Amino acid sequence: MEFLFKMFKLKISVYVITLLFSLVTFSLSFAQGYSISGIVKDTLGVPIQNVNVVKKGTLLGTTTNQSGFFEFKNTKPGIYTLEFSLIGFQKLVYDSIKVQNNSVFLNVVLRETLIKAEQIIITAGRHEEKISELTMSAEVISSDFLSKKNLFNVENALRYVPGVNMTEDQISIRGSSGYSRGAGSRVLLLIDGIPFYTGDTGETIWEIIPTSQLERIEIIKGAASSLYGSTAIGGVVNVITKRISDHSLTSVSSFLGMYDKPHFDEWDWSDRMRFFNGLTVSHSNRFNDFGFSASLTRLEDDSYKQSGFSKKYITFLKADYDFSTTSSLSLFFNSLNKRGGSFLYWKDSKNALVPPDADQGQRTATNRYMSGLIYKNLLDQKFLLNVKTSYYLNKWNDESEAGNRATSNLIRSEVQMDYSFNDKSLLISGVEAMHADVRSNIFGDRNANGFGIYSHFEQKFSFPLIVNAGFRYDYNKLSSIKGSGAISPKVGLNYKLNPQLTFRTSFGLGFRAPTLAEAFTSTSTSGITVKPNPLISPEKNLSFEIGADWNFKEIIGAEINFFSNEFYDLIEAGIDPADGLVIFKNVTRARIQGFELSYNFSLLKSDLLFSANYTYLYSRDIDLKRALKYRPKHSIYSSIDWKLLNVDFGIDARYWSRVEEIDEELIDLGLVKDGKKRTEVIVFDLRVGYQLPFADFNSKILLNADNIFNYNYVELIGNLKPIRNFSLSIEFQF
Amino acid sequence: MKYYKKIKSIILLLPVLFQLSCGEGITPEPETTQKPGFSGKITFIGAWPDSITRTHLVVFKNLLQSPGDFNILNLKFVGPEIPYGISEINYNSLDTAFIQITSGEYAYVCVAQSKTIDLSLNRIDWTVAGVYYANGDTTKPGTLVIPENTLVTNIDIICDFNNPPPQPPGGR
Repeated sequence: MEFLFKMFKLKISVYVITLLFSLVTFSLSFAQGYSISGIVKDTLGVPIQNVNVVKKGTLLGTTTNQSGFFEFKNTKPGIYTLEFSLIGFQKLVYDSIKVQNNSVFLNVVLRETLIKAEQIIITAGRHEEKISELTMSAEVISSDFLSKKNLFNVENALRYVPGVNMTEDQISIRGSSGYSRGAGSRVLLLIDGIPFYTGDTGETIWEIIPTSQLERIEIIKGAASSLYGSTAIGGVVNVITKRISDHSLTSVSSFLGMYDKPHFDEWDWSDRMRFFNGLTVSHSNRFNDFGFSASLTRLEDDSYKQSGFSKKYITFLKADYDFSTTSSLSLFFNSLNKRGGSFLYWKDSKNALVPPDADQGQRTATNRYMSGLIYKNLLDQKFLLNVKTSYYLNKWNDESEAGNRATSNLIRSEVQMDYSFNDKSLLISGVEAMHADVRSNIFGDRNANGFGIYSHFEQKFSFPLIVNAGFRYDYNKLSSIKGSGAISPKVGLNYKLNPQLTFRTSFGLGFRAPTLAEAFTSTSTSGITVKPNPLISPEKNLSFEIGADWNFKEIIGAEINFFSNEFYDLIEAGIDPADGLVIFKNVTRARIQGFELSYNFSLLKSDLLFSANYTYLYSRDIDLKRALKYRPKHSIYSSIDWKLLNVDFGIDARYWSRVEEIDEELIDLGLVKDGKKRTEVIVFDLRVGYQLPFADFNSKILLNADNIFNYNYVELIGNLKPIRNFSLSIEFQF
Repeated sequence: MKYYKKIKSIILLLPVLFQLSCGEGITPEPETTQKPGFSGKITFIGAWPDSITRTHLVVFKNLLQSPGDFNILNLKFVGPEIPYGISEINYNSLDTAFIQITSGEYAYVCVAQSKTIDLSLNRIDWTVAGVYYANGDTTKPGTLVIPENTLVTNIDIICDFNNPPPQPPGGR
């Protein structure tokens, strides 16, 4: 009780500090004058939503609403340049906009394009940057892709990104991770820039993210510790939520799907069809300076696996208040309540969709709540203050014999300051702190504390060359383990040889502190016993990449990246030979190298799009002279999109080569029978979408057929991935 | 016109890609009439040492050339406990086992005894009472080869307490 009271006091303190910041800086806000506004449409005259509009030479930016409308209020007399950009459209620069004794209204037309270089990305340098100006490689998944493929979990969208592999729910960017059973991640998830990982295991919970509320997903490939600290040693995934609507907007989307029968009769454990369904209702509106967006999602999955069923409720709330045109406060709330079965490994390959007898009937219950505040204030045209604070409560328990349970509280706060010397020089600095408190029968009663300070400088030259350099210092301490600090520097270059060809390179150091779960887990599940390792220490890496983008007449685009990562004291789960128990330890020196090739082109005025990419990954445990676990050497993704009047057709294909190394120990110990059975991954998906011809509201119907050849494969040993399934979904907005 | 050639190429390529995924992927392990295993007789000669708390037939994948080789990852079979004081016993690995053996090649098959009250996996707590020798060659441990779907017979071991075999490194 005393603990909860302390936590409450601490939480309140953090929020009060943030609000004080808001009020103090609010009083410093300024500006009176005219406005620059307008409407952005495509070449067919249809208004475009979510277009990024940036006032060049300042830190000011906005996005268009459902009507394609944007506005910069309180603009002083002068001459301005606006830049308009959106994924899938050609960037447009509107210059010489003269504001004297009048407001200005613009009619802007954007042309569609495939070329990624014109897209906007936010995360890489903690400020808005065009992807073509980054010094490291990045990818963007649009909300359109999530909708077309009826993806209700971000995890499934990431399986189509070059350089990204998923082993169950664990992400690996350029081979940074294998499978750590949920303990720790080498990729940092951000929601609108707020770090989002659990306080106990440090894992990423993809299923909490409401996909219907997303505008886009940005993926930064390669170490980003110099900006984001410990967890970003392998990369960053930043989920950007949709802008709050300027008028009343209600959306309803629903889907119903079913799994086909398994490929082999002996796997058919159920005497009925297995279904999955979902419903999302959301509403967004704005009343003068206050706006909100709220959604509720219900997902139910019978599962194709026995004990794989789940029922989830996801809530999302985003509210903001504009104190003035230069300062605002945003509030986020996101929750997940889930009840489901538990399927870790199959009984054997003859019973591939059934868990072992000992695991029959196991259940898990999970409740996760995340809230965050973001305060922004443009103190003058050059100086932007950004304060973020978040609180994450995470509770789960399983109904296994061990009765594992954990409750964790994670509080983070961060102050970031951007100073723009002129339109070519930018300094970004900040400090952040976190505290985690855990009560659990498998981790013990523990706490973790962390502190970080960073500073980065970016200089643009007219050659045109962009140079950025910076560092971050982090100090982390886990309960009784001695604290440790690390400096993560990074330097990068971007050089545009001509409008078609851009080169980039970056070099940096990264680190990752072990999580409470990696240090203190003591449990037994499905015959696998994990023991603690209080001697565990941080892992480090040294990363380098060089790449180039090329595009031709907005029809063809190509990209190539070479990367190399040296890992020191890499933390991996393995078996302790002395007692056969699983332990997380600093096992190895590792080297991960490779390259990515991407190619895309459009035909028929962009109505027919083709894209393909290939990743080669060489991962090596240098001490043991063998490949790292769960890293496929070859990955290929390809898609074809064809738009014909109101109908969209699409084919997605992905191939991962058979992973060389797996958890052989679990097989040798007899814990996963037939666990050696694995194969390459070859999956084809089909989709058809139809835009309904109603003038009053936006609506569409989508039909998806996933894994159409019913190909049987695993990502993790003894755990078959989804068999062929079909879903029909409908979406409408009014 | 050249664009239509590209479309044609893609359309021609699709069946090739489809063909690649028309395999089944992972398949169930076929039923076999015979599981892999081994059987034989263990003979004890002389008086059993005092204080023996447990005796097991064990199989290691690799030879025990250092104390570190006596570890659970190298251990591929552990039979049921052999009763104290008996003079001989016939065994079959398929009957029961703490760790069941699979097909493969194994370098060291022995009868190991321990005097500790609690089960220990430390090399120092175990003594080798007898080793399997192939074809009567007692100069080196015999290799046990278990082919797929085969029960290998006549893996006999003699434990002579008056003349114990060479002990792997790390023992008392």
